[in-house]
Amino acid sequence: MHELSIVETLIEQVQQEVERAGHHGRVLRLDLTIGRLSGACCDSIRFAFELLAPDTPLADAELHITEPKATCRCQDCRAVVEIDQFPVGCPRCGSRAILIDGGRELLLQSIEIED
Amino acid sequence: MKIVAAKKILEANDRLAEENRTRFGAAGVFCVNLVGSPGAGKTTLLEALFAELKGRLRLAVIEGDIAGSIDAERIAKLGVPVVQINTQGACHLDAAMIAAALADFDLDAVDVLLIENVGNLVCTAGYDLGEHLRIVVLSTSEGDDKAVKYPAIFQGSQALCITKADLLPLTNFDVPRITADMKRLAPQSEIFQVAALTGEGIPAAADWLAGKCSP
Repeated sequence: MHELSIVETLIEQVQQEVERAGHHGRVLRLDLTIGRLSGACCDSIRFAFELLAPDTPLADAELHITEPKATCRCQDCRAVVEIDQFPVGCPRCGSRAILIDGGRELLLQSIEIED
Repeated sequence: MKIVAAKKILEANDRLAEENRTRFGAAGVFCVNLVGSPGAGKTTLLEALFAELKGRLRLAVIEGDIAGSIDAERIAKLGVPVVQINTQGACHLDAAMIAAALADFDLDAVDVLLIENVGNLVCTAGYDLGEHLRIVVLSTSEGDDKAVKYPAIFQGSQALCITKADLLPLTNFDVPRITADMKRLAPQSEIFQVAALTGEGIPAAADWLAGKCSP
């Protein structure tokens, strides 16, 4: 998708958070949550981060990404199934009367900085 | 030391989008985000809708393209205020670009602001612009499988305009198939079949839009 502009925003956001906390040190680790249905591809996020992080306080930061799945709830057979992509129908019975929850997260969870 | 942020990465965009929405609300402007592939017929649909809405609503347009002002020139010919945004390579419009473009409009003289996003079914889904509704434009020649292949953009939409409906007999586009897919992805979404060049379906889509703007 637009991973480059997501990472651009992420780097700005991390710098703001670090500043707000009154710190100036190097960032050592970032924890992100990128849901399977968020449309963002983790490999591309990592690649964009490698391109954009040098020359910023995030240059040495390690990226730790959690990729939560989504839940598909069938209105007909009542099955609740974890999914990692948009299904055409219920994975159990094929019904198209399904509701999809979660999996769209795109979150900066935490930042670890040098003491 | 650890800072717990637990924030959306696109929070800055969401916040600006909310500011845009507040501005629209204060000025009584109804804002529509028109998305679809390059060549789906977004600009042609706008032209046809304007002919139908002229005199009923005061319209304005923001055109988003990677380069050039071809679309803005087409809209300007109709006497509709228009601002062209060139994204210089970016694959989507964002809320900051819209906020900057708003400086060129007299919002008090606008009832409906239509934003024609960059032609793209993927990236445009991630960026709230501050719109009140999103309309997806899909042409019959693109195929009826697009909702399944690009679900995110269809999922958050309030209407689907199937354009180039006059070409239906020449394609294998299956209207019931996409209707079923939309029912699953966006049950609230209205579906219109339109052909801007023949005028088919345009009055119904225009009336629906006018109804949304002045409920």
